[in-house]
Amino acid sequence: MSQIEFKEVTKKYEDVVALDKVTFQIDRGEFVFLIGPSGAGKSTLIKLLIREDVPTSGEVLFDNINVSLVEKKAIPELRRRIGVVFQDFKLLDSKTVFENVAIATEVVGCPDDVKCELVPNVLNMVGLLGKKDRFPYQLSGGEKQRVSIARALAHEPDVLIADEATGMIDPQSSSEIMEILERINLLGTTVLMATHNDAIVNKLKKRVVKMDKGAIKSDKRGATYDE
Amino acid sequence: MTNNAIKNFWANLKREKLLAVTNIIVITVSFLLLGVFLSIVFVSQSTLKYLENQAQVTAFFKDDFTEENILNVKEGLEQDERVLQIDYISKEAAFKLFTELNKDEPVLIESISADILPASLEIKTKDVDDLATLASELAAVDGVEDVKFFEDVVEKFKSVSTVAYIIGIALVVMFLIISYSVVLATLRTTITSKGTELEIQRLVGASDAYIKTPIILQALFYGVISGVLASVVLVSLGIVLSGSGLFGNGLLVPFLPNTAIPFSLFSAVISVLIIVSGIVLGYLGSATAVRKYLKY
Repeated sequence: MSQIEFKEVTKKYEDVVALDKVTFQIDRGEFVFLIGPSGAGKSTLIKLLIREDVPTSGEVLFDNINVSLVEKKAIPELRRRIGVVFQDFKLLDSKTVFENVAIATEVVGCPDDVKCELVPNVLNMVGLLGKKDRFPYQLSGGEKQRVSIARALAHEPDVLIADEATGMIDPQSSSEIMEILERINLLGTTVLMATHNDAIVNKLKKRVVKMDKGAIKSDKRGATYDE
Repeated sequence: MTNNAIKNFWANLKREKLLAVTNIIVITVSFLLLGVFLSIVFVSQSTLKYLENQAQVTAFFKDDFTEENILNVKEGLEQDERVLQIDYISKEAAFKLFTELNKDEPVLIESISADILPASLEIKTKDVDDLATLASELAAVDGVEDVKFFEDVVEKFKSVSTVAYIIGIALVVMFLIISYSVVLATLRTTITSKGTELEIQRLVGASDAYIKTPIILQALFYGVISGVLASVVLVSLGIVLSGSGLFGNGLLVPFLPNTAIPFSLFSAVISVLIIVSGIVLGYLGSATAVRKYLKY
């Protein structure tokens, strides 16, 4: 059974068609690259999945739940099951690495002892436990993205979405980020990564969903960027 | 979740001490200016009301009309709902007044006796508009020789005071809008500066209540603390002014007939208004500003 399913999903912003009858499924534990030029509809697709927006027509299903029909008060619960990593990291400069990750535990009212156990665990997973007291401005781009991944992992999500997660970091750091994402995927978390980075896609040879002008152009397993 | 909200509210406050102090100063000054301005407008309107109440009709009686008859007329007028105050000036009292007014002119005083001066009734009305009607009614009363009523002066004063009332109300409304806007803008700026934090909280699965409760608590805190600080200053000012005897007879309330309140009570009313404004603006300002971060 599919974990994520897009059924004939269309999204229009006034006259602009961002997604045009998109249909595809992702199974539990898959690693999927979402590629395509800017404006292809990758970010729109992610927004619909995390209920930042709703489709104009069609259905977005997550574990057989129609995401656009999820009640407002249930949206936070949905978002705890889908971790998101952004290109611009979305870290708070006034908070330390530990505090930035702890936000994810605080919003669900985790007691301090749970927070103190969970946050070091995820920081250890991304190799940043030694820098837990540093502030974002004291970190490299790659390290900032690792903090962002740690925060997304704090809820132990079923799915991790990486939206251009390597877009603002150097190739060496990108490689490290991919290693972390692969490790997370091996532990059973579904990973959906939107990217322009052909080197990464070609190296990992995972399932590649290619989009253009709001539609899916190809969907192949073990593919490279240009296939 | 409530404990978490209070915890987050205190954490935010401690982290943003300087911002908190600045916000409280700005909002306090806005409230204080609002209070002072309202007081000035109210005092000036009250003064106009007092001057309006001083306008009177004087009915002079014929010499052969006895004091008993005059007092009967007075008694009849006292039953009239339009009448605010009525004073009987006997021939002797009129002479005493005349003597006082002309004390530097002994020749003039010597040439006049109390018999020459007429007895009169001085009548003040609750509404200055009733003076003209009352004057014409008095002219027809048996025994009345003449009625004096400075119609031109009263008419001029009426038009000036009407304009002053309208300007006063317009200024109050304008200053309410200005001060409320400053308070709302201050609160909104504070919340907008937290935009990224609120956005992140939402993306990592925070509930609406988790996001907005500390923000609303913080805005309420600013509103209430500022309101109380401004009120303390205003009430102190009210006590000092009341003690000075400047408003010994209290302030006449515009639009309410013959109603006066002590200045200290007026200050207390303004203070309550300001504290309530602090609570309402704090809640509404923060609840509406935070709403855009809770859109799905």
